[in-house]
Amino acid sequence: MKRFISHDELARDRRFIRQNNALTTVLSQLPDDVDKVVETFESIDAMIEKGVRGTEAEPLYEDYGPAFGLVTLNEPLRPDDPAALTRLRVRMHGIFVGELQALEGAGRSLWDFPDAPWEFKMNMARQCWDEARHVQIYEKLLEHVGAYPGMFPESTFLFECACSDDPSMRVAGVNRGLEGLACDVFRDMIRYAEESGDEVMKQAVDFVLADELTHVRFGSEWVREFTKDDPERFERAQEFRRQVDKQFSFGGSRSDRKDAAIPIAREVRQEAGFTEQEIDELVTISAGGPSKETIKAAARILRERHRARRAARAAAQGGEAGGGKSPEGAPA
Amino acid sequence: MSEPRLYPGIGRDERTAFPPYSAFDIPEDLRELRGRYDVEATARRMRNFRYTHEWMAMILGGWIATIPEIPVKTGLGKIVWETAQAADAFGKRLPELRAGRNVATASRPANQGFADLIQEVAAPESPDQTIEKIAGLCDVLMPHLIAVYEANARATDTICDAPTIELLEDATRKLRRHVAWGNEVLDRLCDTDGKQERRAARARALEAQLRACGGVTGELP
Repeated sequence: MKRFISHDELARDRRFIRQNNALTTVLSQLPDDVDKVVETFESIDAMIEKGVRGTEAEPLYEDYGPAFGLVTLNEPLRPDDPAALTRLRVRMHGIFVGELQALEGAGRSLWDFPDAPWEFKMNMARQCWDEARHVQIYEKLLEHVGAYPGMFPESTFLFECACSDDPSMRVAGVNRGLEGLACDVFRDMIRYAEESGDEVMKQAVDFVLADELTHVRFGSEWVREFTKDDPERFERAQEFRRQVDKQFSFGGSRSDRKDAAIPIAREVRQEAGFTEQEIDELVTISAGGPSKETIKAAARILRERHRARRAARAAAQGGEAGGGKSPEGAPA
Repeated sequence: MSEPRLYPGIGRDERTAFPPYSAFDIPEDLRELRGRYDVEATARRMRNFRYTHEWMAMILGGWIATIPEIPVKTGLGKIVWETAQAADAFGKRLPELRAGRNVATASRPANQGFADLIQEVAAPESPDQTIEKIAGLCDVLMPHLIAVYEANARATDTICDAPTIELLEDATRKLRRHVAWGNEVLDRLCDTDGKQERRAARARALEAQLRACGGVTGELP
């Protein structure tokens, strides 16, 4: 078995549909400019359409066009929101595949670095079990909210960004970047479960969050160990973590901004061992990207153009024009 | 009336009144001080066992990403952890056997043939080779380890080497569970004659290689 695999080699059964990771990269680099956001999404429209075919995201695409991700992912989860169920399912599915990739990342850390210290291997082995349980937990939670594996396209962006060939950067990316993102997302899921009175979800996610704190601590300890007496390597690992944090902020969706879909879980991060300086850096790094007003304006334009194209196509085919019926519970 | 004496004094007339028993009288202990392996041989075997478990944990970890069946991925997650724990326990026994605390020498294959066998077990990596992956471990290597650990526990000195026996019994109990899991997976995956033959062929090939190198300790007849 070779060492170091690419994200597109992650094995999946036939339920899963792979999304081109370029989309997530685009999301992480969007400027606060309506025209540029519109232009960017129009340029990758075909890729987005291809990625949603055969999934439950297809009706969302048909209704909203290429910017459907902006209206489903960039809004906070609120139980009284008419689109709450759709957003919840999309987010839950994203977490499920994220856990899958975290399991695969921890497993590969065992195999890719055979000369690593034994204690590192023990930590990664433990993380394999934890992540495997998380996959099982989120598969149950998917069912709990009426969703299922493969319901939406999977981006392997998390594995691609986090799995460096250097062990110090691997733990910086997986254990601090990816697991740090998990801390933010799970804290927000617990908040949602509390607001919606979902005790099953609240308890399960709380256990998962407790595990993630341990994994971040593994990362903090091993970044220090792998880079001790080598300040340049330490700085490279930190810079790699900053890059991962930027990408995992999805253009401000995960940030300390008032309009963020996923707020930074400062207290949880402190408990996990992130320093105040690192958290402040994350606040700065994640604050960029388009504002809520920019996203709304761009999404409106993209939807109108998408519907116009659909209507023109229908007219050319002699059929009835129109964007069709909106999916039940679709975001407004 | 004087208190009964609890500790013997220095004179012959100052003994306590308690009846004598040997360390093994209650309950009666029929064990004898004899064992096939001395301290050095036991340490050598511990290194062989640790080598195997360390590599099994690494291989299983690497495979998770290459296996498309979700329940197999998640099932392997727990096995990775339990396998690493066994390797850790074997390693911690080494200093107790005067074998030092040098982690670099804690894992050793019995011979190059066994090291080659481990690499052959690790060889399948394509997503359509779950049968070959699991068969190598659960049909060949793990059953072999169970047999060797049970034989080792029977043959070693049951009093002097009791800590090793405890470790082997614990490892064996978990290995049996892993093999049972692997059999369930393979029974489910091998749903055609062709797939059953793939499983059998993989087992035959590795079994031959295992016999040729003498197994985990290099001592198979």
